[in-house]
Amino acid sequence: MSSNQTSPTTPAVLRFFGVDNSADKRGALYIFVLLAALLVTPIVVGNDFVYHVFITICLFAGLSTAWNIVGGYAGQLSLGHAMYYGIGAYTGMILVNAGITPWIGMFVGAAVSAVVAALIAYPCFRLKGPFYALASIAFLEVFHVLAIEMKWLTGGATGKMIPLQVGWEWMIFQDRLPSLLIAFGMLCFVLAIAQVIRHRRMGFYLIATRERESAAKAAGIPTVKVRIYAAAMSGALVSMLGTFHAMYLTFIEPDSAFDLIFSIQIVLFALVGGIGTVFGPLLGAILLVPITEISRGLLGASALGLHGFVYGVILMLVVVFMPDGVVSLLPKRARKALDPEQFDDTTGQPIGDTELDAPQLDPIQTKARPPLGDEVLKVDDLVKNFGGLKVTQHVNISLRQGEVLGIIGPNGAGKTTLFNMLSGFLEADSGSVVVMGPDGKPHTPKGVADFVSLGVGRTFQIVQPFAAMTVEENIMVGAFYHHPDVDSARRVAGEIATELGLGRFLHEEAKNLPIGGLKRLEVARVMAMRPRILLLDEVMAGINPSDLVEAIRLIKAIRDTGVSIIAIEHVMRAIMDLSDRVIVINSGAVISEGDPESVVRDEAVIEAYLGKEAGNAEA
Amino acid sequence: MDLIFTNLVNGLMLGALYAIVSVGLTLVFGIVKVINFAHGEFLMVAMFLVFFATAYFGVHPYVTLVVVLPLIFGLGMLVQRVLIEPLQDSDEHIMIFATVGLSIAMINLMLMLFGPDIYSTPSSGLRTVVDMGPAMFLTGQLNILIAAIALVGGIHLFLTRTQLGRAIRATGQNRAAAQLMGINVSWVYMVTFGIGVSCVGLAAVLIAPLYPTSPEVGQYFVLLSFVVVVMGGLGSISGALLAAMIIGIVDAFAGFYLGANVKDLVVFGIFLLVLIFRPQGLFGGARNMSHVS
Amino acid sequence: MLKLNNVTAGYGSTTILHGISLDVNEGEIVTIVGGNGAGKSTTLRTISSLINPTSGSIEFEGRDITKMAAHKVVELGITMVPEARQLFPEMTVLENLQMGSFTKVARPRYKEKLDEVLTLFPRVAERLSQEAQSLSGGEQQMVAIARGMMSCPKLMLFDEPSLGLAPIVVTQVFDVVKKIAASGTTVLIVEQNVFQTLQIADRGYVIENGEISMNGPAQELMGNDHIRKAYLGI
Repeated sequence: MSSNQTSPTTPAVLRFFGVDNSADKRGALYIFVLLAALLVTPIVVGNDFVYHVFITICLFAGLSTAWNIVGGYAGQLSLGHAMYYGIGAYTGMILVNAGITPWIGMFVGAAVSAVVAALIAYPCFRLKGPFYALASIAFLEVFHVLAIEMKWLTGGATGKMIPLQVGWEWMIFQDRLPSLLIAFGMLCFVLAIAQVIRHRRMGFYLIATRERESAAKAAGIPTVKVRIYAAAMSGALVSMLGTFHAMYLTFIEPDSAFDLIFSIQIVLFALVGGIGTVFGPLLGAILLVPITEISRGLLGASALGLHGFVYGVILMLVVVFMPDGVVSLLPKRARKALDPEQFDDTTGQPIGDTELDAPQLDPIQTKARPPLGDEVLKVDDLVKNFGGLKVTQHVNISLRQGEVLGIIGPNGAGKTTLFNMLSGFLEADSGSVVVMGPDGKPHTPKGVADFVSLGVGRTFQIVQPFAAMTVEENIMVGAFYHHPDVDSARRVAGEIATELGLGRFLHEEAKNLPIGGLKRLEVARVMAMRPRILLLDEVMAGINPSDLVEAIRLIKAIRDTGVSIIAIEHVMRAIMDLSDRVIVINSGAVISEGDPESVVRDEAVIEAYLGKEAGNAEA
Repeated sequence: MDLIFTNLVNGLMLGALYAIVSVGLTLVFGIVKVINFAHGEFLMVAMFLVFFATAYFGVHPYVTLVVVLPLIFGLGMLVQRVLIEPLQDSDEHIMIFATVGLSIAMINLMLMLFGPDIYSTPSSGLRTVVDMGPAMFLTGQLNILIAAIALVGGIHLFLTRTQLGRAIRATGQNRAAAQLMGINVSWVYMVTFGIGVSCVGLAAVLIAPLYPTSPEVGQYFVLLSFVVVVMGGLGSISGALLAAMIIGIVDAFAGFYLGANVKDLVVFGIFLLVLIFRPQGLFGGARNMSHVS
Repeated sequence: MLKLNNVTAGYGSTTILHGISLDVNEGEIVTIVGGNGAGKSTTLRTISSLINPTSGSIEFEGRDITKMAAHKVVELGITMVPEARQLFPEMTVLENLQMGSFTKVARPRYKEKLDEVLTLFPRVAERLSQEAQSLSGGEQQMVAIARGMMSCPKLMLFDEPSLGLAPIVVTQVFDVVKKIAASGTTVLIVEQNVFQTLQIADRGYVIENGEISMNGPAQELMGNDHIRKAYLGI
C-alpha cells in the first residue's frame, strides 16, 4: 500500500482495515461488490437450493478464511481444523439441549476452542510443515474418539438431533433467508478480523515468524505468543461457524463433525484461492462450492465418492499448475488491490542483480567519532559444551560503549556459538553475561526476549530476508519493537533504509536483493530496533571488495552514533580497519587479545589461523 | 498369563505388519523428502489387486505377488514422475497437499468403482490357528513376521552394499552433489518411490487373506505407520522396525483390554507425546531434526 | 576443449547470465573472477547442467552439451567440486569417494584412482571410515576435491573452493589445485579470492553483471588498473 500516496481523505473506518490509498479503495470496492453478490443473488433467485449453495459458500469461505490465519499467515498447516468446527457444533448442541440459546453457545464454544487451540499450539509451535499437519490430524482423531466415547455428553457414535425450536433465538428457521443472513454476517465478521490482523503488527509478526523464526525472535517478536494468539483466534472463529452449521443441519455425529476430509476441504478452498492472502479463501469457496454442491444435488447418492474424487483431483491439479491459487491469475492491478501487502513490488518484475548490484547502493554518510564510554557488556568465564565437544572454554569479554570488538578465528572455533550465548539463543553451561541496561544498572538477561529488551541486536551469518515481504516491511518488523503502530513503524523503516543506502529499494521484494543488499537489510532490520549493542556475524562475507569499503563506512557510522559493536569476521581488511580491539578464538578458547596490529603479529594466531603468508593475504 | 503371552505374540506380529508398511514410508521420506500421505492408499489399491487376482485366476494370494509388485512399483514410479517430481522444489505445504489430494482421489475413485463394500480375499489356509503352548496365532501372521525381518534386512543390505543403494542414500543426503557424481537423480527418486510403495505391495499380499479389503482400509494403516515412522526417527529403517514392534504390542494390549476406540486414543496419545517431546524419534540422537526448527 | 557461445541462463524468471562466451583449452588453468552475484557460480552450474541455458550453446570436446542432463555431463569427463563442499554428510569418507567413481567410465578405474587421491591427501586416508560430517571444514574441502578426482575428469570445475576456510587452509587448497592441473587435468576455477587465484591461473575472465567484461592472461589481469581497484582493493 505504501507504493501509493496515502490519501488524507480516507475515512477512519477504512483506515482501520488497512485501506488507506486509492489502490486499497479499489480493492475494497471489488470485495464489496463480491460480497453483495453473495447476499443478493439467492434473495433474487429465491430458490431453496440456491439459498443452500450460497449459505454453504459463506460457511466454507468463513471457515477457510479463519483457517488461513494459522495456515496462511502463521504458515502452520493444520489438517485438524474440523476439531474446532466439531467443538463449536457440539458445544452449541449440548447447550441448546440444556435450554441455552446458540447465540450464547457460539461464544462458549469459541472460548473452549480458543483454549484448546492454545493448549495445542503451545507444545506444537516448533513442528514444521508435515509434522504440524500430522500432529493436527492426531489431535483431530483424539477428539473424534472422545466424541464417540463420551456418550453421556455427546450421544456417542450415532450422533444427536438438535431440538427443532424454530425462531431467531434458536437459530433454526422455516425459511432459508435468516440462515443466509447469519452465515453472511459471520463471513463478513471473519473477513474483517482476518484483514485487520493481516495489516496490523500482528500480521507482520506472524509472517516474519513463518518466514524465519530465529530472525523474528532476534527482532523481539514473542514468536510463541503470536502463534498461540493466531491459533486461538482461528480456532474460535471456526468454532463459531461450527455452532451455526450444527443449528443449520439440526443433526450432528462424530464422523461428520470431526472429519479429516472436512478439514481438508477447508484447506482446499484456501489453497485454490491463494494461501496467505486475505481474500483468497473467499474466492476459492465461491469457485468450488457451487461445482460440488450442484454435482451432489444432481447426482445424489448414485455418485458415491464423486465429489471426493473431484476434490482430490483439483487439489493435485492446483498444486501442480497453480500453486499460488486463483489470486495469482487475476490481473496485476486487481491482485494488488485485493492484497497490496502481498504484491507490493512496483516493477512487477523480479529485479536481477544487474539493476541492483552493490556499487549502486547509495553511499553512507559518516560523522565524527565520539570518545569511548563505560563498559556495556561483560562476559565472565563463559563455558559451553555440546556433548563432549568443548565449544566455548572460559571466555571473558568486556565491551565499552562505542567500541568495536573484532572476533576472528578458524571455522568451527566457536564464534557463532559465542554469539548465540551473547544474544540469548543458547544458554551457557556456566559463567555469566552481564549487560548494562539503559537504566545504568547491570542485568543478567536470560533468553532472547531479555537480551532484546536490554538493547542487544544481532545479525545472522546466513542472511535470508523475510522473503514474502518488501525491504520496507522487513525493516518494519524490527521497527515495531519500539513503534507498535503501523504508520510510525513504516516511517522509521523509511528513515533507516535511507540511512543505510537502501532507500530506493524500499518497495522491492527483499528476496530480489543481491547479497550486498541483503547484508545491509539484515543490519537495517536490527538498527530499526535501536540496539545499544550490535552483534554482527560475518556481515562482510561474500560481498564485493569495492562494496566492502562502503560496508566498513556503514559500520563506522553506526559506531559513531554510540552503539557498541562486536563483529565476527573472516575479512581481515575489515577487521583491521574497524576494530578497536581484536579477540582470536581457537577451539573455543581465547588465544590472543589486543589491538589489531599486535594480534596479527602474535605467533599463536599466525599458527592457528592466518598462515605464514598472512602478510599479503587478501582474504 | 496365557492371555498376556498371546497378546504379546499378537502384538509382535501386528508390529511386523506395521514395520513392512512403515519401512516404505520412512524410505521415501528419507530419500525423496516427501511425507506420502497417500501411502496407505497404495496398500488399499494393492489389496484390491490381490483380491481380484485371486478371484479371477483362483491362485493362492501369495502367488499374486508376481503381478502386484510390478504393478505397484510402476504406479509408484508414475506418481513420482507425474506428481512429485514437478513439485520437488516447491514449498513444503505444496507437497503435503499433493499427496493428500492423491490420497483423497484414490480412496474416492475406488469408492466410485467398487462402492463402500468389504471384499474378502480367500484365506487359503492362512487363517489356520497355530497353537504353540501358551501362544496362539495364525500361520498368515507368522509369515508376516518372517517377511518383515527379511524385508528390513534386505533393504539394509541393499542400501549399504550395492552401488544403486549407495546412490539412493547419496541422493537423499545431497541431491545436487549426487547429480555431480553422475547419478541420475530423477531416476533414483522414481526407483525409491517405487521401492517404498512396493513395501505396501508386499504388505497387501500378506494381509489381504487376513483382513477385509475396502476403499478405506489404507487410512487406518497409514495413520499407524506415521506413528511408527515418527517414533523410529524419520528416515531410519531400523528405528521404524523397533517402533513398529512397540506400537504393535501397545496396539494388541490396548485393543484387548481397553477396546478399539480407546486403543486409538492410546496410540495417538503416544504419537503426540513423541512428536512434541522426542521429534527426532525415540532411538536417534539429535539427527534427522530437519522437521523441527 | 570447452566452449561457451553466448550463453544466457538464470533461475526462474531471473536472468543472471546475459550472453557469456568463453573457452578453456586442454591443460590450462582458467579462472573466472568477479563480485558476488556477478554470475560466476551460475556459469559453472550451467556448464555442469545443474541449470539449463535459456539460449546459447555449450560445447565440450566438440560435442554439444547444452541440453544434456547433469549426470551425462559427468560421464563425458566434466566434474564440478561444488561450493561449500556438498559432501554426503552421513556417509563415510570412503563411501563419499566411492560415489565419486559412480559413472561407468570411472568405476573400472576405482582402485587406481583411490590410491592416487589417498597419496595426494594423506589426511583423507586417515579418516576413511569416519562420517563426512564429523570432519573439519578444511578436511571436508579436501574430501570434496578427492571425490571429484575419483570420476576421472578431463575438466574439473571448482566453485569457490576457498569460501569459508581459514587463510592457512586456503593456501593448501590452492596448492592442491595446482597439483591437479600439473597432473594433466584441465581446471576452470571460480573465486572471489581474486589475488591468489590469478597467481595460479594461466588465463582469466572477469565477469560483471552476468557479462564477460574482460579477459586475458592472468598476469595481465593482475596488472590491470580496474581489476586492482575493484577486486584487489589496491
